[in-house]
Amino acid sequence: MELQDIYYDKTEYVETTSGNKVSRQTVLCGSQNIVLNGKCIVQSDAIIRGDLANVRTGRYCIISKNAVIRPPFKKFSKGVAFFPLHMGDHVYVGENSKVNAAVVGSYVHIGKNVVIGRRCVLKDCCMIEDGSVLPPETVVPSFTLYSGSPATWTENLPDCTQDIMIEYTRNYYQHFVPRPI
Amino acid sequence: MALNRDLRIATGAVVCVDSKLDGPITIGPRTVVHPKACIVAEGGPIVIGESNIFEEQCLIKHNANANTDRPRTLKIGSNNVFEVGCVISAKSVGDNNVFESNCFVGPEIEVGNGCIIGVGISLERPEKLPDNLVITGGNYNRTIAADKPPAQTLQLDFLTKVLPNYHHLRKPKDRPNVL
Repeated sequence: MELQDIYYDKTEYVETTSGNKVSRQTVLCGSQNIVLNGKCIVQSDAIIRGDLANVRTGRYCIISKNAVIRPPFKKFSKGVAFFPLHMGDHVYVGENSKVNAAVVGSYVHIGKNVVIGRRCVLKDCCMIEDGSVLPPETVVPSFTLYSGSPATWTENLPDCTQDIMIEYTRNYYQHFVPRPI
Repeated sequence: MALNRDLRIATGAVVCVDSKLDGPITIGPRTVVHPKACIVAEGGPIVIGESNIFEEQCLIKHNANANTDRPRTLKIGSNNVFEVGCVISAKSVGDNNVFESNCFVGPEIEVGNGCIIGVGISLERPEKLPDNLVITGGNYNRTIAADKPPAQTLQLDFLTKVLPNYHHLRKPKDRPNVL
């Protein structure tokens, strides 16, 4: 199925040479610590906290409205540290979701209103359903669907998840176009 | 930034300029207010104690409503953590509480000390939460913890060190008491 065009206001978005489309309404704290590897979309009112630690995303990452990407925090015997947050390629983060994970693999789909607890590890090709709550330090294996509060395993995903996510995020990027005048 | 004349920030508090602070608010020492946090004092003054953390998108409301026995001043104790996206309009908040992401605490609730309100919990009915109450999960499981949650002193130290490097801060000003 072909995705419908999603129009955005040309004045609202900044497009970089590597193809990132970033809304002006976002809050990118500590932008020198944020790396978007190209063809990423960051929609309005999303918050990326680069001031706490480095945030790196791969290509074709979509961060929807009101999502919060926030490096996780860990207490040690001496002092504390915020961990850098790495995201793979072709990751979709839904609206109003809060990602506090340590690692998000590639080809990951995170639904709307999801809360990903501190230092979770999301392996490649997994999916978190809308409204789920991942407790802190959960490891989500590849090819699984997690849902609920607290989120648990519900289903396995098909082997073609990688292709589905590649196609989905590519399509989304290609159909995220400025409103024709 | 509109000048908020009724704002009082104690020395040692870290309050980012990007936060939204409306109305008469007093912020105690060592409290950290992240950017995009929102504290609205419509119904009367809000007094915030020491060493609290207000994360981004959290909303603290103090609404005017003549029909309730709401105290005029909303008092928030010390060592509380308000995580991303929580909405708090409680009557009063004690010490050492943790409000996790996206939780909602309604206007008729008094929060005691050492409570943990879990992710996505929504409390609307009038009640007084006992000390060390933990509410978590999709079924709103309630348990009484043996001890209060640990204080976030280390995190606060880190944040007070790091946030000034990246954000403009509101200057501390100790005005004469306006309450």
